[in-house]
Amino acid sequence: MINFENVSCRVLKSISLNIPKGETVGLIGKSGAGKTTLIKLAGGLLAPESGRIFTLGKDPVENRNLYREKISVFIAGTPLLCRDDTVSQGFEIIRSVYGISKSDFAKRYEALSARLSFSKYGSEPVKNLSLGERMRAEIGAALIYEPELLILDEPNIGLDENAKFVLGQLLSERRGAGMTTLLSSHDMASVPKICSRIALLDKGELVFYGSTESLRSRYTPTNTMSLKIEGRLPDLEDLPLEKYSINGSAISLSYNSNHVTAAEILRTVLRQTAVSKVSIKKPDLEDLISKLRGSKNEFY
Amino acid sequence: MKDVLHLMSMYTKTTAKAWFQYRVDAVLKSLAVFLREATGIIVIWFTLMKFDNINGWNIYEMVFLFSLLFLTYGIMIIFFTGLRDFGNTVRSGSFDRFILRPRGLLFQIIFVNSDWFAALGHGGLGITLFLISAWKVGINWSLTNALYYIFTIAGGVLIQGAVFLTLATLNIFMLQTNSLKELLYWNMRKFAGYPISIFNKAIQIFMIYVMPFAFVNYFPAQFLLRKSDMSYSEIYMYLTPIVGTVMYLAAYLFWRFGIRFYKSSGN
Repeated sequence: MINFENVSCRVLKSISLNIPKGETVGLIGKSGAGKTTLIKLAGGLLAPESGRIFTLGKDPVENRNLYREKISVFIAGTPLLCRDDTVSQGFEIIRSVYGISKSDFAKRYEALSARLSFSKYGSEPVKNLSLGERMRAEIGAALIYEPELLILDEPNIGLDENAKFVLGQLLSERRGAGMTTLLSSHDMASVPKICSRIALLDKGELVFYGSTESLRSRYTPTNTMSLKIEGRLPDLEDLPLEKYSINGSAISLSYNSNHVTAAEILRTVLRQTAVSKVSIKKPDLEDLISKLRGSKNEFY
Repeated sequence: MKDVLHLMSMYTKTTAKAWFQYRVDAVLKSLAVFLREATGIIVIWFTLMKFDNINGWNIYEMVFLFSLLFLTYGIMIIFFTGLRDFGNTVRSGSFDRFILRPRGLLFQIIFVNSDWFAALGHGGLGITLFLISAWKVGINWSLTNALYYIFTIAGGVLIQGAVFLTLATLNIFMLQTNSLKELLYWNMRKFAGYPISIFNKAIQIFMIYVMPFAFVNYFPAQFLLRKSDMSYSEIYMYLTPIVGTVMYLAAYLFWRFGIRFYKSSGN
């Protein structure tokens, strides 16, 4: 559905990427990594400085207006609904632009607005909505004409856990109907849950592209825990820890979260002694990137 | 076709709603535009009380000349507000939204926004000036003259629309053309209120061949009024609709060319 051949543009450095039909690809990276640039290139809003791009088999810049009803692009800076329109007016314009019959559209609107819960503020002007409310309506607007390809830039911003869950559900249902999705996010925690593939961008380079499982298995998540002990020091030899060090009454240890959970460690410690302070640090995107960069060649 | 019309009415309805959300404010704003522009006319009125005429043009003839300028602008801005504000549209990213939709770009730009205050202010002033002068300048409003007048107005709208479209296209390359618009359009428009015969040759040439305001009001007014200061061939009086059409087509081709170079602005 989307094909990048050696594409360079702004921060992006010779990106090659192929997104097959029916995949849900999560584009992850820190801000400035080139996520939005890649999204804009795929959507035909930017032309590459070098390399070639095919979206649905065609150059998206040359064919800008020819197949727009098959693609839906939502970029945070470019809302689909006008600020001054009410939500339902905005949707009515979309209906009219994409030439969808009234009865079909009403059905879809009802379903989407109920699930993304924006039906109750349908008659509010978009500018009066909160960020989260607006995002839910925007996601509805991006989905309502049932595109073959959905491109979402940072759809998670402003969404609460429930809305994120609904978004994931909607995407997987549409995936079943053959829709391909490319969505970007800096949210490492929730995106892999709703995506079948992950593309990881760092400083304009694609440092990882593959299935979510392969990312997980390649990358062993090491958490670190710091404990402050009251009383005698516990014996930690029975726990499958990667390493630990004791410094006075402070213990710091690291463990693989696939092998042992924080609760198990704490239970063992508490059985033996009292603890006054616990803190756990999970690896973040930065650690993941540096880890992947360190062993980059393995993934190509 | 039917859904195009529906979409047009949708867009018009929502823009009108947005502009007239606060009714008192809308009336006052239109009035403000009206009065701002009328001040210039009043100054000329007082000047002519002292001097009697400008190069043979009396006060009513001057008012008629002005009325063409305001009426064409008032009509033009209903359709071309989106082009007037195109720089903002590009910078705010709204243009990306137009690109992402399966409709003609120019269609969307034209129908998504209309500055009704400017339209009412300028158009209202144009109509007022027309009503003040039309029956005092000795025009015989025969069918021929009336038809000529309508075609002239259409031509004047197209000429100014073409200028806005060209400046909008330049926006794609330069991202900011407000000062160019100020220089080329608004400054020349100040001259255009007067018969071009009072200016030196360089300005006359500029107003005929570069920023052809002369075709918006001077030459048409000459056709209807036949003043003695006309130093150009009579053919110029008939060219307004042609100049308008040709300029608009050229501007449209330039737009089609320029749009291929559009790059979304960063965020």
